[in-house]
Amino acid sequence: MKQTINIPLGSQHIALLEPVRFKFECENEKIIGVDSDVGFVHRGIERACTTKFKFDSIGYVVARVCGLCAITHSLSYTVAIEKLLGGEISKKAKYLRILLLELDRIHSHMLCLSHTCENAGFEAMFMRIMGDRELVMEIQELLTGNRVQFDYISIGGVNRDLSSTVALKIKENLYEVKQKVLGYMDEFTHNWSLSLKFKGIGALSLDDAYIFNAIGPLARASGLNIDVRNEIDYLPFNEVGFLMQTHSDGDINARNLVRLNEILNSILMCENIINGLPEGEIFTKIKGKPKGEAIVRFEAPRGELMYYVKGNGTAMLDRVRIKTPTFSSIPAFSHIFVGQDYADAPAILASFDPCLSCTAK
Amino acid sequence: MKKIEVSLGTVRDVIGDFYEYKKWHFLTINGLALAENKMEVQWIFSKYEALDESVVYFAQIAYTDVIPSIVDLIPSAIISQRELVDMFGVQVEGSEKGLYLDEDSLQSPLSGCSI
Repeated sequence: MKQTINIPLGSQHIALLEPVRFKFECENEKIIGVDSDVGFVHRGIERACTTKFKFDSIGYVVARVCGLCAITHSLSYTVAIEKLLGGEISKKAKYLRILLLELDRIHSHMLCLSHTCENAGFEAMFMRIMGDRELVMEIQELLTGNRVQFDYISIGGVNRDLSSTVALKIKENLYEVKQKVLGYMDEFTHNWSLSLKFKGIGALSLDDAYIFNAIGPLARASGLNIDVRNEIDYLPFNEVGFLMQTHSDGDINARNLVRLNEILNSILMCENIINGLPEGEIFTKIKGKPKGEAIVRFEAPRGELMYYVKGNGTAMLDRVRIKTPTFSSIPAFSHIFVGQDYADAPAILASFDPCLSCTAK
Repeated sequence: MKKIEVSLGTVRDVIGDFYEYKKWHFLTINGLALAENKMEVQWIFSKYEALDESVVYFAQIAYTDVIPSIVDLIPSAIISQRELVDMFGVQVEGSEKGLYLDEDSLQSPLSGCSI
């Protein structure tokens, strides 16, 4: 007679960067059912946005939803407000916004890849990538003044211009990062611990990616052509060399390779921005109080981030809705786990690059 | 953003007719507190590989209404339905409380009427 056993993973676990609890129902070694609890760090940010803060300060509040994709949160909110106020920002500000967005993507993907190495037992590679990631953190600090909470985006533009000295340093560091990433590509393609071990594990088929509305690198690794940078015109991604990166295998290895290729594409975009940065102001005064509804989407490192904002013509908003990538990927995550070995669960989870701080808001 | 009003009685049929899973990407279900103990529920979709094309089906309801589930049409909607239950204190068919809020938390923080 078959027996099932429930095995919890989390809420605190060595394989987890943030608190989340999965309850796996297992039959011998196979996972046959999954339940998840994601609300351990719920902070009531959506309610705070409509009761505690005026609309012009919320861009800095929502940046605190998540440290890793703070820029995408403040950018999405700010663009929603700019849509409601009817303001147009300068081309230079748009380019600088993309620059920071892509730097953020590079260091976030590097964090995920290093965590994948840690889960594979490849501690040396984990430390190597985390050390190299400092090259990106350094230029983020030079550009914005902070390593993590940038507070770089403001309604009407950005808060700091790019000096020629900082531009040069960004180019130097990104050149170095690019050489490192090409080395990672070799490791993730040929090293047994990081390639063969993950081939066929935690796979999501293209059809299931559609059915479960997968997004971000998870979807693109399964061959689904979804990248918000390809579906919006708030920022000119098409002018700076954006190319969607996809794979067809849908497994952990495919997700790793998609992220590596996205880092290389983001580096190219940053180089193009610095080489072709338009002249002009970095800030345009936009007056008024937001009235009406706006939906804005951006491609965060983990996938599609959506903001819905409703204003009533006063300084206080009626609603700020934040739909984060990890939140909407949970059904796909749960589907992928079923049929997998329990022993692979931590590695599969790491390959999702989940962000619980975003999810719980 | 194209907004289309529906009633709770017809929303499943409308979304069932509209939703082609390889053409439309389901974004989320959103709630919006209105005056007089009412709220608006929004089912939001965007079109794959189209430039900023989104469709929002919405229904204005009382907090006591039971919202039909669309999980059999769109499996990934389960998580948005559970969030709606926690944040607005409404009932959605087949969706449990407790995704974000514990029993001893302040309940329905976005309903605008129950804290």
